[in-house]
Amino acid sequence: MTSPLTNSVVYPATYHVTKAAFLTDATICIGCKACEVACKEWNEVPDDGMIWSGFSYDNTQALGASTWRHVMFLEQPAAAGPQQVDMENPFRWIFLSDVCKHCGNAGCLEACPTGAIVRTDVGSVLVQSDVCNGCGYCVVSCPFGVVDKRHPDGRAFKCTFCYDRQSAGMIPACAKACPTQSIRFGELEELREAGVARVAELQSRGYADARVYDPQETSVGGTHAMFVILGQPEAYNLPPAPEVPTIYLKSAWMSALISALVLAAIVCAAFLF
Amino acid sequence: MPGLGTTYGRGGATTAPSDLLNSDVILIMGSNMAENHPVGFQWVMEAKEKKGAHLIHVDPRFSRTSAVANTWVPLRAGSDILFLGGMINHILQNELDFREYVIHYTNASVIIPESFKDTEELGGIFSGWDPEKKQYDTRSWLYQGVQIPSDSGDQNPNGQSGGHSQHGVDSSTDLSTYEQDLTLQHPRCVYQIMKRHFARYTPEIVERYCGVSKEAFLNVANLYCGASGPEKTAAMCYALGWTQHSSGVQIIRCAAILQLLLGNMGRPGGGILALRGHASIQGSTDIPTLFDSLPGYLSMPKFGPSSKDLASFIKANKPRTGFWNNIDKYIVSLLKAYYGDAATKENDFGFNWLPRITGDHSHQAYWLDMLDGKMDGLFVIGQNPAVAGPNSGMERRGLGKLKWLVVREMVETETASFWYESPEVQRGDLRTEDIETEVFLMPGAGHVEKEGTFTNTQRLLQWREKAVDPPGDARSENWFIYHLWRRIVEKAKLDPSPRNQGLLALTMNYTLEGDHREPSSPEILQEINGWTVADHKLLSGFGELKADGSTLCGAWIYSGVFPSAGRNRANEREPKDEYGHGWGWAWPADRRVIYNRASARPDGSPWSERKKLVWWDEAAKKWTGKDVPDFTATKPPNYVPPPGAEGDAALAGDKPYILHADGFGWLWVPVGLNDGPLPTHYEPLESPVSNPLYPQRQANPVGLNRARPGNEYATSPDARFPYVLTTYRLTEHHTAGGMSRTLSHLAELQPEIFCEISMELANELKIEHGAWVTLVTARGAIEAHALSTSRIRPLKIGDRRVHQIGVPFHWGYNGLVKGDMANDLIAISEEPNVHIMETKGLLCNLLVGRRANNVAKLKEYHSIAEGKTA
Amino acid sequence: MAATDNPGAPSRPKASEERLDAIRNEASATGKVVTGAGRAHANAPIPGAEDYYNLPVLKPPTWTWEVPLYFFVGGIAGVSAVIAFVGHLFHAEPRMVRVALWIPFVGAGLCPALLISDLGRPLRFLNMLRVFKWRSAMSMGSWILSGFGGFAFLALATNELILYGIQSPFLPPLRWLGEFGGALTGLLLASYTGVLIGATAIPVWHENRRLLPAHFLTSGLGGSSAILELFGFLVPATQILGFAAASVETVMGALLEVRKRPIDAPLHHGRSGWTLRIGGVLEGPTALWVRVFWGSLPTGRFAAAICFLLGALLSRYGWIWAGRASAHDPQALFQLQRKK
Repeated sequence: MTSPLTNSVVYPATYHVTKAAFLTDATICIGCKACEVACKEWNEVPDDGMIWSGFSYDNTQALGASTWRHVMFLEQPAAAGPQQVDMENPFRWIFLSDVCKHCGNAGCLEACPTGAIVRTDVGSVLVQSDVCNGCGYCVVSCPFGVVDKRHPDGRAFKCTFCYDRQSAGMIPACAKACPTQSIRFGELEELREAGVARVAELQSRGYADARVYDPQETSVGGTHAMFVILGQPEAYNLPPAPEVPTIYLKSAWMSALISALVLAAIVCAAFLF
Repeated sequence: MPGLGTTYGRGGATTAPSDLLNSDVILIMGSNMAENHPVGFQWVMEAKEKKGAHLIHVDPRFSRTSAVANTWVPLRAGSDILFLGGMINHILQNELDFREYVIHYTNASVIIPESFKDTEELGGIFSGWDPEKKQYDTRSWLYQGVQIPSDSGDQNPNGQSGGHSQHGVDSSTDLSTYEQDLTLQHPRCVYQIMKRHFARYTPEIVERYCGVSKEAFLNVANLYCGASGPEKTAAMCYALGWTQHSSGVQIIRCAAILQLLLGNMGRPGGGILALRGHASIQGSTDIPTLFDSLPGYLSMPKFGPSSKDLASFIKANKPRTGFWNNIDKYIVSLLKAYYGDAATKENDFGFNWLPRITGDHSHQAYWLDMLDGKMDGLFVIGQNPAVAGPNSGMERRGLGKLKWLVVREMVETETASFWYESPEVQRGDLRTEDIETEVFLMPGAGHVEKEGTFTNTQRLLQWREKAVDPPGDARSENWFIYHLWRRIVEKAKLDPSPRNQGLLALTMNYTLEGDHREPSSPEILQEINGWTVADHKLLSGFGELKADGSTLCGAWIYSGVFPSAGRNRANEREPKDEYGHGWGWAWPADRRVIYNRASARPDGSPWSERKKLVWWDEAAKKWTGKDVPDFTATKPPNYVPPPGAEGDAALAGDKPYILHADGFGWLWVPVGLNDGPLPTHYEPLESPVSNPLYPQRQANPVGLNRARPGNEYATSPDARFPYVLTTYRLTEHHTAGGMSRTLSHLAELQPEIFCEISMELANELKIEHGAWVTLVTARGAIEAHALSTSRIRPLKIGDRRVHQIGVPFHWGYNGLVKGDMANDLIAISEEPNVHIMETKGLLCNLLVGRRANNVAKLKEYHSIAEGKTA
Repeated sequence: MAATDNPGAPSRPKASEERLDAIRNEASATGKVVTGAGRAHANAPIPGAEDYYNLPVLKPPTWTWEVPLYFFVGGIAGVSAVIAFVGHLFHAEPRMVRVALWIPFVGAGLCPALLISDLGRPLRFLNMLRVFKWRSAMSMGSWILSGFGGFAFLALATNELILYGIQSPFLPPLRWLGEFGGALTGLLLASYTGVLIGATAIPVWHENRRLLPAHFLTSGLGGSSAILELFGFLVPATQILGFAAASVETVMGALLEVRKRPIDAPLHHGRSGWTLRIGGVLEGPTALWVRVFWGSLPTGRFAAAICFLLGALLSRYGWIWAGRASAHDPQALFQLQRKK
């Protein structure tokens, strides 16, 4: 749906989706951090420390319990497609807003022993803060390093996909605030297609290393927050082959079972002597 | 602003950011648009991504704008006129100008008298230079055939007569009697003079003194010039990277000239976006907080014969032709708004109650007076000069010389707390006990706690509703000024001296609303819009204004925003078309792209189907199109003014620049600027090289550098200060940081001050990434983290490698995060037309280690150690 | 990120000084503009494998000192229940069986206390029993621990009542039920913790997920028999169990030493590496050697028992710290995932 003013995406006044998704596009991000601030303002997230890192303009450094949108700044000795910067010494500065991936198969959700973490009716992964008792198991179960415990609160926090806003028919705060619509919100399938189309378009314009990051081929089963990036995922601290840790359960329990049987035999043997 | 005002007629962005969608090429220079106008930048991004526009960013640093540009060209801070002049020369030498546009819509063909001498002939100055007064007599810049006035208007004692409210007329000069050569061959026509003037702005000199390779320069020139003509347009965006220079106005003039030569002005996707600063800075020059301007860019009267009475003032400011011919209607209506019934024909509508300018009352000038102990008191409202003023250390000392200071703010800014917290006090250079200033901190309401309009960079008025009442004692500016006035008036009533008459005559008849007794903002806007006095009927536009006292109007340019009771057009939110009509209201008269007559050929048909905006409808006998025509709607394109016609009727049907007396776009500025009819390259006040074009004229001769103890300058070049320093803003913070360093969500994004240096400089000086360094200029020293990055490059300037260093200026000694103030490094100086300081190109040195570890070395740099007394 | 988010975690590294030096040297050698803030392209360890300022991808475990201690106590308590059941079955000394039933009971009290203390919101500990999720090892563990606690109490109470002289036909079968249930849940209690950390995103843990349950069980075995020895039950059964546990630990330790996978770096380097090594040596070869050469003497057996217990405790802390170190190593993660 387009506006008379421009061709940009215009969200309907009331917008409900069946499967919520983000498509965050590094090639149109201007690194303004409006997403970080809008998220914190809406969700009343406390500050995450006043630390100057020296890592380009990224003083936030990572997602965590008190940072749910994190803008990354990559200074790389490579050209951004056909951009004319310096013919002899190619250079580019890339920005990307990271967020909880809301995995198709979510490690945090599977791990949570209190049932605090649930899949909502729009397919997002939500930590119910009134249930969470801060056991910390989700923290080590996230293959993307997103969710964490907040001190001194004690509970685990992460992006809620603005579930409260979505329930009221509004789009998430970060998508609302993003001035260039680098963060797009919508239906999962539509945005999946949009991501693929965007990468095809970028490649035809000379951005040979454009790609979509959406690990559908791993056990994570694709993420509901997808990214259009230039270059390798590692450069954005995105794991190239993330797995949901439940895939390790079978072999681990097997080992436990066999060891238990062996131990029982040994104990029996010890007493039979 | 006078750069655009003199060239085109109005000082302000000529288009809206959304119009950039129609641009084929966008040149951003002197601006970091993505950084500082991220919301407006969405249109640039869309133009690039969806419309295939080519985005060029020319800037000393590779910033967040450069990151998404198609082409980035680094250049030396302060060499913009060389670069832009090079582009002008490129056009003129290769005849790339849009000839039909230039001939019909600009004064390229106008002939200049023989008495005029160019900088090329006089070694860097124009004819009319008075070396004692250090100013120009501009009469030799007038057109040939124009009657030279005997009384060319009042000059202020220190020679500054230009400024924001210049409407291109000096006294009653009648410019309509010009002579032309439409073949552009006459040796003294503007076109040929320009050709000679810019002849030495070659790609070679650009390479040598801007640090831009010939290839890169020609690439930009060809890209930009290639997007001109009937089928294509190109736009320019600029901001403080151009304005905060000692030749800032002339830099902008170069851009304005380029847009006229290429025929981009007034056309879709063309124009110049002057990117004003934070919300409503456009509004603060429209309804001005400037000393030399009355609402709607009328001149503040100057002390002298030209403002002896209203008739003299009108005579001095009313040209015979062009839209400013209506100035008598504007000033009288304004006076009626001020003085209501007390303003009558008999008392010149209260004209003599207006103050008169007697000198340079700009910020810089009166602050120096403050330092000299000449001022008793000061109101500081919504500004933080202790951090953001030039030579802020000196400004803080100045505050200590006042008897009283009133600060109105939402937080306790550094200006309010200087007396116990400034670095001077913390270091022991000053003692709180010795500062006698009585400081009043009055709490101000935040922007959601009051209602009113903001005027954005595209001249768009948008109404803001009030969401909540301000807490506690916090109040809006309207409340404060109104109730302060009320109390002062009570006292004035007891004092019969004549000077109180004006004060007592002021009418502020607003309804007071609510528990706080807030003056009604809609009523204020209505007063600005204006009404007929007899029946209080709101006006629908400035066309209805009269000079006989029957109309009242607070600002003629805003007339039409509130055309009938209940219809606040600034509050409308239903955009109907691509130009956003129906969302807010743009002055003048909701014209979104001004000078849009130029989007049609002289005969009234569009230049092309692709670039049509406004055109003549022969059947309906009026101008029509996608925007409100910036032209008299029923004036046909072939209209020829009858002899003796006045005002707008004196301009032909093919003259788009209706505020100019001749209707032309001014490549050549005959009146209105203090430092030249054409831009000329001068170096910044502190420069690493001498002026390559005019070695005997290093910096702008008309500029004021206000050198004095505490405000010293480096030499150009200076072995003590080998690096070029530029200051700038970050997206995360807001100017002096009062609203961002106090808010945790913003403060944590950029918690500490840092300076950006090149990897080469880090290597040379063995500076570890992130280490503390001390930046020092002739004025002061600050410490910052060193962020070494490839985004800053050393440039080859002249024969040497020149390093550039950048530092953002957002930190102060209050707030959740603190840091040194970059503006301590900057000098108090005044550009000759608008008095703005030079922050973008100075000289500095960089010492390894923190400031406290460099005390001994710093003493070498500051012979009068850090501007101690005034 | 707040430095206080993970107390005890190493502070985040700034841009590496080595890399900057390399760039500076290149710049002065070639005189060319060197681009890429902090990144020497030619020296990248693995082609294409970059990173984001060497910042960690994963979040380290937030657990504090209670959790490794819980592993230790739970392992001992769990296997002790097995020993009690099997011992009772094969007519072991009743006094030993009695002690072997007290240990689970005390453990079943200590373990929840430790876990609750580690929770961010301790008062909400009951939420652990809101759901039963077999796909969450921690959920399983909560139920296992609860079940174990119930059985341990049942076994102990019934046993004490019987020993006290209460005659009731219900007590013996209930005691068998408690002992059997305790043994089963005890086996799970002592081994599930290996699954708990093995089935996470932390590379050094999930790459050792088959080893960990076996190792924790073995530790529990040796630990429970060591406690029984320290209580004076210097019988052949505890000697054999001690010997078996130490031998298995020796083999496991040797295996870890020999297998030098890059992902196992935390097991060999840094604080975690040294802790695990010392713990492993104490649990394995030292306990074994002491038992072989001095096991005939009581002091020898006491020494071997203490060695083993100390080693087991250290090993638990070592594994948690190894997890922290592993989470902080983005390059190891990228290397591992690129290979797959």
